[in-house]
Amino acid sequence: MSNRLLHLDQVTKSFPGVLALDKASLDIRSGEVHGLVGENGAGKSTIIKVLAGVYVPDGGRLTIGGRVIDPITPESVHAAGVRFIHQELHLVPHFTVTESVFMGQEVRGRFGLDTGGMRRRAEAFLRDVLAVSIPGNRLIRDLGTAERKLVQIARALIDEAAKVVVFDEPTAPLASEECATLMHAIARLKDRGISILYVSHYLNEITDICDRVTVFRNGRSVSVFDDIEDSTGQDLIAAMVGRELEDLYPENRRTPQASLLELENYSGTGFRNVSFRLRAGEILGIAGLIGSGREELIDTIYGLRRSTSGTLRLRSRQLRMRAPKDAIDAGIVLVPRDRRHDGLVLPMTVSENVTLATLDAISRFGLENRRRARQQTEEQISALDIRPSDPEKVVRLLSGGNQQKVVLGRWLLKNADVYLLDEPTVGVDVGARSEIYALVDRLAKDGSGVIVSSSDPGELIGICDRIAVMMRGEIVSVLDASDLSLDHLISVTTGAEPTEAAHG
Amino acid sequence: MTELTSNRSSSLLRHLFVRFGFLLAFFAFFVFFAAWNPVFLQGGNLLNIVEGSAILLIVALGMTLIVATGGIDLSVGIALDFGAAFAIVAMKSYGADWITAAALGVSGGSIVGIVNAILVVGLRISPFMATLGTFFIGSSVQRIFTNGGGPISHRRMPDEFRNLAMGDIGGVPVEVIVAAVLCVIYFLVLERSIHGRRIHAMGMQRLASIVAGIRVNRVLIASYIVAAMTCAIGGLIAAASIRMFTPLSGFSYLLDAIAAVFIGAALHPRGRPNVLGTIAGVLFLGMVVNGLNLMGLNFNVKDALSGIILVSALALAVAQRKMR
Repeated sequence: MSNRLLHLDQVTKSFPGVLALDKASLDIRSGEVHGLVGENGAGKSTIIKVLAGVYVPDGGRLTIGGRVIDPITPESVHAAGVRFIHQELHLVPHFTVTESVFMGQEVRGRFGLDTGGMRRRAEAFLRDVLAVSIPGNRLIRDLGTAERKLVQIARALIDEAAKVVVFDEPTAPLASEECATLMHAIARLKDRGISILYVSHYLNEITDICDRVTVFRNGRSVSVFDDIEDSTGQDLIAAMVGRELEDLYPENRRTPQASLLELENYSGTGFRNVSFRLRAGEILGIAGLIGSGREELIDTIYGLRRSTSGTLRLRSRQLRMRAPKDAIDAGIVLVPRDRRHDGLVLPMTVSENVTLATLDAISRFGLENRRRARQQTEEQISALDIRPSDPEKVVRLLSGGNQQKVVLGRWLLKNADVYLLDEPTVGVDVGARSEIYALVDRLAKDGSGVIVSSSDPGELIGICDRIAVMMRGEIVSVLDASDLSLDHLISVTTGAEPTEAAHG
Repeated sequence: MTELTSNRSSSLLRHLFVRFGFLLAFFAFFVFFAAWNPVFLQGGNLLNIVEGSAILLIVALGMTLIVATGGIDLSVGIALDFGAAFAIVAMKSYGADWITAAALGVSGGSIVGIVNAILVVGLRISPFMATLGTFFIGSSVQRIFTNGGGPISHRRMPDEFRNLAMGDIGGVPVEVIVAAVLCVIYFLVLERSIHGRRIHAMGMQRLASIVAGIRVNRVLIASYIVAAMTCAIGGLIAAASIRMFTPLSGFSYLLDAIAAVFIGAALHPRGRPNVLGTIAGVLFLGMVVNGLNLMGLNFNVKDALSGIILVSALALAVAQRKMR
């Protein structure tokens, strides 16, 4: 390949007990957007870390622009023009945009720092290259997530020496309309001849913006789609999981029964006058953009925030949640959107996390009955197919999908009536995703009520019976999911379509 | 390829350092002191180390509890002082018997814990600032009460109280027995009970613990009060051993207690503050002081050396924490 810019050739990397990369290869041509997809644990992040000089590979070679990079260190890769846009933002909230862009690469003027010059350069870069206008004196904490992401990109690219930019899950924290801003910026970078390596779980993004795609599976690069135009998301999924995925979503044949949870004119910070009724055996979806009040509503039902007015009834009994413990005792449990901060105690083991909410059940005179704890954990591990199946594994080391299963396993031990699932499959690979959907379906069939709040319209239509759409703090519409089209849901969610009055 | 091998062996070294650094240091000091002065190894001297460490061990247990909740307690010395003061004053001014005096001492110490709990839970001040505030307030209170810091001595205290520090049961000093009992209780609560699981969970990830249904405020309030009461028990022993209350004397245990807890956490396979580790940390510090004494060094040099070793131990513990 004559225009091959970056080539990772036959890279192998093993960790104790795991072969993370098995002669995996990746080649990126100049001026292309190259997608990298694979399930969690397929080796995507490992090869990114090898490329970043974080991991030292056991074998293999990195060539950039025809020159072999050896050793691969953060410095040598940077010098060769590779830049990384990590998943985490690493920005200081109290810094201004200019300070953030030039952090660690400040420009000196005649008298100390050249603040004016840096500001002009930062603003010009954001405007000309990324096509957004953000004033250089704005504070990071006042910016939206998408804008922060763009500042992060500006910071990596401001020295104009970038040849290859690696985006690691850049849209994970973004709402869908924010993604468009980012996609636009990426297209502009490509126009400037910069190559992009784009790592994402969102296959629609991959098919939209990538020219070529490499698929990883079990530490190997199993296939390269040279012409993504001719392929669909289904083709990619098939390559990722190594089998034809019949359907991600379970059959929807549930019969909702008696009313379980009722909200009436329920209001709190970020939402108001929310009324709906969740029946036993029903899965109710909540759609809405970031800022629609979706997150606040879920948090308030769970007692993480206080409601200001209105009523919440569970089985006709009016409840007032002052803390999550109240909700849990009443039979309402939450799988939070940010499982790494709110869902799991990352340094603790699978067993410690699974039993954390039901410690009384494994207590004998206040002491922990470790045998019971282990036995209960093993039951959940096998029921949910958590991998690795070691109860003593620290959960930080698990993949996203398996971490989510640990959170779910904890609540399965509790036998709750109402499950609140907030973004249940963010950062979860395709295989685990369909398992989670099947589990949610089974919970509803067994008579629980489930509320799924999600920014993925396909997911909502796929698993829910009804979908409440929130906008600016209110429910604007409740839609029957059975014959709802993706386009329709998206247009209602984004306000592109006028809605009739809400009804519950 | 040499690059790779050297890198791998350095990561192995690193792993060994993280896991066993302190055990090695412990062992090295032990051998060094033993070689320098054979008296070090004699049974009587080893018992000296244990006995001399009893109060620090008790204070360090309280500190372990607070560090496990994700905080730190700079007011452990104040709780210790209050324990001693309440007990001595109860006996001297009110003629209380030893059991009442001890109970009052422990209750007096609990005041410090209650103040900390109010500041940390009620006013949401960070534990560092809150307990620092308690430390200053508590110090002032002691100075005011003693008209500027003079000791309150009580020579004719009941023998039973005196025995807290001077007595022995079957040859084992009472203070060692008290410390050992507290160690067992702390071990069971912190490492073996469901309550301990909640404490560790909230110390590591508070929000996740709240979401899991742990009432973290209750856990915090209970922890601060129990830690202060524990330190007050240390105060009883201190008061019994010198038959007086010396204002602000508890302060000297603060840095040692923090160091012991962090050394203990560094010894734990997952880096958690833990009771067994704290015991090892306390014994390490006690061994260093004892060994330096036996070397017959000048008092000032000895003090400087033990300070340097303590700070190095803390630095090593923190370095290990980062390398995990």
